[in-house]
Amino acid sequence: MKIRHHATDETLLRYAAGRLPAGAALVVATHLEGCPHCRARVAAFEALGGALLEEMEPAPMAPDAFAAALRMIDEEEERNAPASLDSARSVRVQATLPGGIPLPAALRHCDMGPWRWIGLGVRASALRLPDDPSARLTLLRVGPGRKLPEHGHVGTEFTQVLVGSFSDEFGRYLPGDLAEMDHDIEHQPVVDPDGECICLAAFDGSMRLNGFIGRLMQPFVRL
Amino acid sequence: MNAVLEYPPRGEPHPRPSPELGHVVTRLMEDGAPPDRAELARLIVRIASDQDRQAFARLYAYFAPRVHAFLRKSGLPANAAEEVAQEVMLSVWRKASYFDPDRAGAATWIFTIARNLRIDHLRRHRVAAAAENGVTEEVETAPSGEVLLLASEREAHVRAAMLTLSDEQATVLRLSFFDDKAHSEIASTLGLPLGTVKSRVRLALGRLRALLEDKS
Repeated sequence: MKIRHHATDETLLRYAAGRLPAGAALVVATHLEGCPHCRARVAAFEALGGALLEEMEPAPMAPDAFAAALRMIDEEEERNAPASLDSARSVRVQATLPGGIPLPAALRHCDMGPWRWIGLGVRASALRLPDDPSARLTLLRVGPGRKLPEHGHVGTEFTQVLVGSFSDEFGRYLPGDLAEMDHDIEHQPVVDPDGECICLAAFDGSMRLNGFIGRLMQPFVRL
Repeated sequence: MNAVLEYPPRGEPHPRPSPELGHVVTRLMEDGAPPDRAELARLIVRIASDQDRQAFARLYAYFAPRVHAFLRKSGLPANAAEEVAQEVMLSVWRKASYFDPDRAGAATWIFTIARNLRIDHLRRHRVAAAAENGVTEEVETAPSGEVLLLASEREAHVRAAMLTLSDEQATVLRLSFFDDKAHSEIASTLGLPLGTVKSRVRLALGRLRALLEDKS
């Protein structure tokens, strides 16, 4: 899969720093699954994080902190429950996209809401993270030749193509591509005529959804 | 809860032999010079293979106060920062077998643990500002031919690149790590035009990238 549209360095930096809002971080994680180029960037920015960590002026821990850590380790070993790595993670039925396509691995812990019509040729399904109700992201399913809802928005919009393709002023977006659009960019994505397009969309969390798509999505994401 | 970054284990995690009796460390001992980077990585490997408490003591002495400081600077209140720093060090002990020195240096690996546990902490203690803090779902990606550089080289290059940045560039990069702010907000914090902030970040990241890609 040749990825032609990538996340910006700013976004990858914020992702690596753990500073992207939950929904946007999941869209980026989905993109990274298929994009070695952006994964390499994230690795570099994480190394930057490691360098910043090392240059910190040490802030002393409480005098008994290390002894307390050893006590906790002892207790865990006595309980013979070392490193329950992911025990809390429940097994859930894997939601699939239309056509039986599995959700990307990054989304496998999400609950997928029902598909609902939100406009002409456009359906949406809200994704929720069980352990983070604040996460906001949406699957959009748009028919062939249909426009993605025209919208003005504040902040950045992240749209990852999962199935099908759409095109706008900046080119054609195929599965694996990430469209990252600042609010000051006007564009009109149209789904290519050869089939429907399913994409994953989230906004930068610092915005208020007051654009068209935001109003459409409000009933789903209860903003 | 995806508390800790999970590197895909290469093969099975190391089997854990029972800890040596009579080899009990109860106090933090810091001896001599600070460990260098290769040694820090070896300490984690020794924790994984031998549950070596001496190694853990040394690693703790070096990293716990730095993680603590990092989390303070990241905006956690003092008590929370220390609590999460303690969680981070316990995670280092538990997850040591997932550490792969070919993928990341010790500081980078521990940074990712701190990053993820900070997010988990905020999620648990979320106050009114619900949407402000992010979740980072890690992607488990099989290491493939994409690995451009050995981790040790990459980290050396990143550090070298940091030194070549101007103060302004370094400031915007640090703000990206220690603040939730998008660049537009950083701009208003620093009283700079957005374009200036963006170009500083671009220059800083470009310098980083040039160094990394040059060497790959």
